[in-house]
Amino acid sequence: MELLVCIKQVPDDSVSVGLNADGTPKLDEITPVVNAFDTYALEMAARFKEAHGGSVTVLTVGGEGAVPALRSCLAVGADRACRLADESACDPQGIAYLLAQASKKAGEQPFDVIFCGSESTDASSAQVGAQVAELLGLPVITNVLALEPKDGGISAKQETEDGYRVVEASCPCVVTIVKPDYEPRYPSIKSKMAARKMPITDLSLADVEADAGKFGPEAAKVRRVALSAPPQRQSGVKIQEKEAAEAVRRAMELMAGQKLI
Amino acid sequence: MAYLINPEDQDLLDSVREFCEKEIKEQCKEYDVSGEWPEEIYAKAAELGYNGLEVPEEYGGLGLERITVAAIMEEFAKADAGFVTTITASNLALKAVLIGGNEEQKQRCCDLLMEGKHGAFCLTEPMAGSDAGNSKTTAVREGDEYVLNGRKCFITNGGVASFYVVTAMTDKSQGVKGMSAFLVEAGTPGLSTGNHENKMGIRTSNTCDVVLEDCRVPASALMGAEGEGYKIAMKTLDMSRTWVGCGAVGIAQRAIDEAVAYGKQRITFGKPILKNQGLQFMIADMEIRVETARQMVAHALKLMDAGLPYSRESAIAKCYAGDIAVQNALDAIQILGGYGYSREYPVEKLLRDAKIFQIYEGTNQIQRMVIGKSVIGKF
Repeated sequence: MELLVCIKQVPDDSVSVGLNADGTPKLDEITPVVNAFDTYALEMAARFKEAHGGSVTVLTVGGEGAVPALRSCLAVGADRACRLADESACDPQGIAYLLAQASKKAGEQPFDVIFCGSESTDASSAQVGAQVAELLGLPVITNVLALEPKDGGISAKQETEDGYRVVEASCPCVVTIVKPDYEPRYPSIKSKMAARKMPITDLSLADVEADAGKFGPEAAKVRRVALSAPPQRQSGVKIQEKEAAEAVRRAMELMAGQKLI
Repeated sequence: MAYLINPEDQDLLDSVREFCEKEIKEQCKEYDVSGEWPEEIYAKAAELGYNGLEVPEEYGGLGLERITVAAIMEEFAKADAGFVTTITASNLALKAVLIGGNEEQKQRCCDLLMEGKHGAFCLTEPMAGSDAGNSKTTAVREGDEYVLNGRKCFITNGGVASFYVVTAMTDKSQGVKGMSAFLVEAGTPGLSTGNHENKMGIRTSNTCDVVLEDCRVPASALMGAEGEGYKIAMKTLDMSRTWVGCGAVGIAQRAIDEAVAYGKQRITFGKPILKNQGLQFMIADMEIRVETARQMVAHALKLMDAGLPYSRESAIAKCYAGDIAVQNALDAIQILGGYGYSREYPVEKLLRDAKIFQIYEGTNQIQRMVIGKSVIGKF
């Protein structure tokens, strides 16, 4: 099957992000990385390809700065990479529109399955995958843990509150991926060096016939109004009574005081 | 400041660092206690091509620059010195083959390393460490074969290697000129390994005796000509010493990283301890030492790249880096105080790991002999 994985470059989520004086996030010194959920999507696509054949293409929307992210994907299972050159500030629907348009041009053949991370670790809107499906008129299975081909379509394990359920869809379709029970592979020295030499297809807005009224800040239906840092955690209360009965009594008092019991 | 590597390789280094952080650093704590060889970690590393970093491009390697390999080795050492010892030891055996072997032998060893296998360099014997010429292992020619007998000791990767470079006396009467080198593959009848040494440090590396009992190898296993073994071994060690220095730099750097991280958050008398100038000076001295050692390693590698003599510089790099790794580990323990002495914290391990870097690949006394002689010359 021909597989497409949509990826986003995000600030490294293992580093805590501060705010500038104007309320924007302070990202200058934070290394950009591929969104963790997209790395799960790529790993799942790569395993799917290795087990059942086909090829994996990665797609992103961004400036020159997004090239290293695509290269790192080429080192861990992607066969081809494609970048739609655009740096306008989009809301999730705008990005979904651009990805949907680009998905029609990114491969030599139409894609059977389009993978997206279930959400990004920066904006966490969790909308893009579903909107790509809507725009392309395709079925979508969200929060997928595992995937296999079935009767020309796919069968997926969809994560639920309690476990998972099995959902099937015909191809082409869109899936959004959550963390499976394995980690994405590390690049080998060889694959990393080979990825340097692999071509990256650049698409322009004209190439994908993007309608200027459907993306970018003007078209955005959702706007970020403000950002705030999470409140600092308050230090907890220590109960230091020596006798167990005393300690329990003190704990009960505290909980009653907070109207928790 | 780190090694100045080309920007493309920086990305490579970042992925190695990520592997070291996630797969080696924490996991090795447990193996440091048990002394078990972490096969699973080495298997993962082998899959990523970490065993073949020094394989030349013409033998199927990736053609990495020496300075990039050094930066990668430093990351390995920062994560765990036993890990870097394993990798360096395979490369030590490879160097001997590249220096003294024929084309077929070179290709064979390069292939094995690229497949993720390990190598072992077997020179040391119970009565022949720095005094390698006192070797008792013999190789006797019988028709188209050599028969090897003897006992090698403290052999890194002895129990896990796929190929062994073994030195043996083909003509005792000639002294060191009667020593020859052989390439012996694992599984050759007569080659066996002894118990895994219970070591003070670098406990995630395998060290054991390699025993040769009527071990028959084809005459084609001879590297170079009879009598060239000592020369091959000495040239090999000359080159390898820089890489040992590189590992020691990694330990010394980790000592700084741990001391700074702790010193910023440890509060005494109402302020972090690193607000005290006395400790700032200690950190400065640690940094002066590590950067000096690192640049000495870089300089020796540059000489190798340029095809210039490097014996003295290689010995300086190894000797100095080994000494300062021990000193930096001691200072890190001092900065962490009681916690530094506790096995709950990572710095006491650094001292145990660092100590071997003053001993193996020629003790630092031997290095000083090499350096001294090269300065003074014959008179």
